[in-house]
Amino acid sequence: MAWTPLRFRVNGHPREIPCPPERILLDLLREDLELTGTKRGCDLGTCGCCAVLIDGRPTLSCLTLARLAEGREVTTIEGVSPPQGLSPLQRAFVEHGATQCGFCTPGFVIAATALLRDHPRPSRAEVERAVAGNLCRCTGYTKIVEAILATAEGR
Amino acid sequence: MHLDPFELHRPATVDEAVEMARRHAGAFDFLAGGTDLLPNYKMHLNLRPHVIALEGIRELEEHGVERIGAMTRLAEVEGDAALAAAYPGLLEAVREVATPLVRASATVGGNLLLETRCFFFNQSEFWRHSLGYCLKADGDRCHVVPQKEKCYATFSGDLAPVFLTLDARVELAGPEGRREIPLAEMYDAHGDGIHRTKLRPGEILCGVRLPPGARSWRTTYRKLRLRPSFDFPELGVAAAARFDGDRVAEARVAIGGLETYPTSYPSETAALAGERLTEAAARAVGERIRAKVRPVRNTAIAPDYRKKMAAVFVRRALLALSGGAAA
Amino acid sequence: MSSAEPVRTPTRLLGSRIPYIEGPLKVSGRATYTDDLRRPGMLVGRLLRSPHAHARLRSIDVSAARAMPGVHAVLTGDRYPTPFGVLPITHDETALAVGKARYIGDIVAAVAADDELTAERALAAIRVEYDLLPEYTDTHGGLVPVAEPIHARVKDGSNVQKEVLQHFGDVEAAFAGAAERVHVHGRYAGVNHGFTEPLVTLADATPDGRLTVWSATQVPHYLHRTLHEVLGLPMHRIRVVKPEVGGGFGGKSDPLPHEVICAALSLETGRPVKILCDREETFYTNHGRHPTENDVRIAFDAEGRIRAYDIDALIEGGAWSSFGTVTTYYNGVLSMGPYKVPNFRYRGRRVYTNKPPNGAMRAHGGTNIRHSVETAIDIAAERFGIDPFDLRDRNALPPNSTTVNDFRITSTSFRRCLSEARRASGWDGKFRRLPYGRGIGLGCGFYISGSNSPIHFTPKMPQCTVHLKVDMDGGIAVHCMQADIGQGSNTLMAAIVAEVVGVDLDRVHVIPVDTDVSPVDIGSYSSRVTFMMGNATRKAAESLRDQLLKATSRVTGHPVERLRVATERYEVAHRPEVGLSYLEALHAAMETQGALVATGAYSSPPMGGTFKGARAGTAPAYSFAAYVAEVEVDPETGVYRPERMWAAFDCGRPLNRLAVEGQIQGSIHMGLGQFMGEAMDYRGARLMNPALLDYKIPMPQQMPEIEILLVGDDDPEGPFGAKEAGEGPLIATLPAMGNAIYDAVGVRCVELPLTPDKLLRGIERREAEGRAWKGH
Repeated sequence: MAWTPLRFRVNGHPREIPCPPERILLDLLREDLELTGTKRGCDLGTCGCCAVLIDGRPTLSCLTLARLAEGREVTTIEGVSPPQGLSPLQRAFVEHGATQCGFCTPGFVIAATALLRDHPRPSRAEVERAVAGNLCRCTGYTKIVEAILATAEGR
Repeated sequence: MHLDPFELHRPATVDEAVEMARRHAGAFDFLAGGTDLLPNYKMHLNLRPHVIALEGIRELEEHGVERIGAMTRLAEVEGDAALAAAYPGLLEAVREVATPLVRASATVGGNLLLETRCFFFNQSEFWRHSLGYCLKADGDRCHVVPQKEKCYATFSGDLAPVFLTLDARVELAGPEGRREIPLAEMYDAHGDGIHRTKLRPGEILCGVRLPPGARSWRTTYRKLRLRPSFDFPELGVAAAARFDGDRVAEARVAIGGLETYPTSYPSETAALAGERLTEAAARAVGERIRAKVRPVRNTAIAPDYRKKMAAVFVRRALLALSGGAAA
Repeated sequence: MSSAEPVRTPTRLLGSRIPYIEGPLKVSGRATYTDDLRRPGMLVGRLLRSPHAHARLRSIDVSAARAMPGVHAVLTGDRYPTPFGVLPITHDETALAVGKARYIGDIVAAVAADDELTAERALAAIRVEYDLLPEYTDTHGGLVPVAEPIHARVKDGSNVQKEVLQHFGDVEAAFAGAAERVHVHGRYAGVNHGFTEPLVTLADATPDGRLTVWSATQVPHYLHRTLHEVLGLPMHRIRVVKPEVGGGFGGKSDPLPHEVICAALSLETGRPVKILCDREETFYTNHGRHPTENDVRIAFDAEGRIRAYDIDALIEGGAWSSFGTVTTYYNGVLSMGPYKVPNFRYRGRRVYTNKPPNGAMRAHGGTNIRHSVETAIDIAAERFGIDPFDLRDRNALPPNSTTVNDFRITSTSFRRCLSEARRASGWDGKFRRLPYGRGIGLGCGFYISGSNSPIHFTPKMPQCTVHLKVDMDGGIAVHCMQADIGQGSNTLMAAIVAEVVGVDLDRVHVIPVDTDVSPVDIGSYSSRVTFMMGNATRKAAESLRDQLLKATSRVTGHPVERLRVATERYEVAHRPEVGLSYLEALHAAMETQGALVATGAYSSPPMGGTFKGARAGTAPAYSFAAYVAEVEVDPETGVYRPERMWAAFDCGRPLNRLAVEGQIQGSIHMGLGQFMGEAMDYRGARLMNPALLDYKIPMPQQMPEIEILLVGDDDPEGPFGAKEAGEGPLIATLPAMGNAIYDAVGVRCVELPLTPDKLLRGIERREAEGRAWKGH
């Protein structure tokens, strides 16, 4: 094999792992690194369940070549969760009933984490726009938007 | 969904990329943000054994008010206050592209060179095999207009119409050197519909140049689709105008989402020059353009409706420009 | 306490907002779904699907595939040909196509290989010779005898799978004497569940003769039974486990072919095998809401009272029966409530077509017909010049009554649904008074709170059984096969236990569904879980509580009747300082027997008439709804937006307000999807949009502001007075929207989805006919 191992950081730790050029980041995360919190919903970029942060930017891991993460920092849902307990955003998701089946939840948490980092006090419309790349079939989004707004307001 | 194996190239400069393209002529794809190419690869649409990734080439990533590098992510355009202030229509269009997650990766160049779309093309290998492959991938007939030897897939980029109304130019680099052409000339209105641009083999779209006068134009963008995110345009109308007092000095309209290439309508808008931008004047432009567009039945919404909406959207876009014009 | 006695006990936990107990796992990515599991030595299973809609399988040559290195098994239909299906009376599915393929996407072969790439290459090496047969893609064409019926068991050589004819009273006479007759012809595209987790199954057949299957299923019990029937293994050697499930909405309630194939591949190879369907395959598997065409005729007397319904429903089945026989009944019998209908005639026909099968989807059988009925009632109100609320109020089914088809109606707060929705929405100031392009509309709903006619080995077995076990640590393990697929039923089950036993919620552990240890419940469908599992859980918890009270009585010397349950404590009612803590009572109780166990079960009471099909639609309780939608329409483009909705719903007593709200909000979203843009878009037999990009599930910006009004009285038989809130809340969404759009622009919406082009055509037609609306 001509290619060198992929070197990048995952959830704060350096990783070095064999990775052929055509390997998709989602597959690498779920199958090689066993980071199964990142979900495979459509595999074509149209559900948002696979969102991760790459250098802090929310990104569709199903449409990213793993090798392009070379030297970058990838943060998955496991990485935005504190070692003990939950982040304020995650706690708000729980308290507001923003999860039902939960399959889309990691993607929403990733998108909302980035939103609140860049815009700590978003309006409702800004929240709706920020999560408009994530499909939820259970909640009608109402409680998801409420949970994000509540986090921003420190409720 | 795995991808079939390919060789991945990571050039550090445009020259290196051009050289790789030359070496693998006819057997490669450039990879920008990946949000268009990779779904197509997953569906086994026109796979190539070599992929040349353009990420990391600084020249392509720089962006400012006069020049936007082709690898500028749409999210960066969205977040660039100077760009937004200079070209409000561009910001409107960018914000309407796909979803925030797509825009984090998708690039300006990728949007301009978006693969055309069609119900019969953007399908899995199984689906296309089941019906019989089409002209645009692996087959020899068009399922939309079967009697024609031409591809009718729809150009679905949102940015091109805006850039067309701003008279943008594109920088190209290829084995034969660098050149700069008007964006309008990049699209091939008379081709087979499959090779939609006049880019020469191995040419890279490096950036978009906006003429100094572009900032004095008012611009706006209107998009028709079923959902406020995800969906490609079923019709995308960009309008731009310069005013001289309460009269139009010059107006332009360009449209995407209806045909195989984005189109400007200079003769349909010419009559606006020197006139007040009235409801009746805008309506007349809309009707003229409506008479000219030829959408086909290959997207989610019926073509007759999209055609009808072209008139409405053009009128509304033009009138939006006139807002405050008299003041 | 007798089950018929209204429950008014003050509750500590129930009725509040209880966050889902598995929430912390889901928000941190630690919840485990089927595709997150893997087993050592696991193989990849892949399916070869028919590219033809209707074709005889002349030959399948798998020799090349079988010979490929890394390929461990190749299956075709002849290996496990036993037919199955969710309804015992219509077993017409097979794991893999036998004899012929019936839709594009029908499974003709399967492989198990070392990896994805090898599996795909093996599929490509399979040679299938097809003899093409005539394709049947529309219901009308299937009503008459055809050259090659899709299935052998059809009516008179046609493609009719099921015909239901019902007539109660005298419909002819009622129509003849009617003061007003309204007719609506409704047409509804098929829709898909669109759950975010694609279909996936993992199976592991082990050398001890056992088979374990993990699957994304709503009904582990039916899967368990189907695996037994098709694979020939005794049920006790099969173990079905349900990990977290990423949404179902009915689409994971049938036993599905890939589940059987996955188990079969594991049996063949002696290795664990996983089959993950991609999104396109998930769409082909479908079992979504049936495309329907219906004619609804309603006769009214001069006072606007309904005299009769005359209904015809033509239902497209797709390639298999699935729940279709039930669907065919439901389109009739669920059309009446919430109204009193003295005369009723119904013909329902479900026709096979060469398309992916249709089945059960949230508010199964009650959605499309309801939209037509509610549109008809809106038309009638206009003709009578009676307010739509008043007309409906006049026709409301009374509590404790019986319908013409012998449905037993116990609790109904339908009239309060109406009055609350009217008040909250400001209806009287808005209806027909908003400017052109703005509109307000009312739609109502009615749905079963669990089916009284369960699909079961024998109707004599309970529909749900719950076991509790508590050991010295004080943790209460709850075992039950009810399937939480995100609706919060695990949380409710734990809350009921905590409520009754008087312990903190975190003492209760819901054990994931595992047929080795969980007693049978027939799963998450027909909106049955709260009602049936709730009652069974309550009984089990009361039995456990009684053991603890008995021990407290023994230790304190006070009789059980004098004791009461406090928080984590049992005490003498008139001397609260005397008592035992929960753990003291538990340990005292354990002295004689060790760990405590308790069990509870639920069987719905006998009900329904004696005619053929009389039990279809009978339920121990029904939900009722009145929704008002306010919309804004752009009359020039046909683009519209729901701005606000007021959802008055009678689910009896809401036990977890957070969950009830979530179900209503999610139902409205799903109903809006069907109304606004979702459709299984076929051209001929071909599905044009088997992808989430092209299947138009609404986005956050399309959601209206929703005000929820929970107005139900306690149901006499529901657990703590509760009824369903999982499916019924979808139904009223559609007609509320349709009637609001009529109010906005004067166009009736009877062809769904109502995309902007269709609405614009309607507006243009109205204008062409010279019918002005609000001055336009």
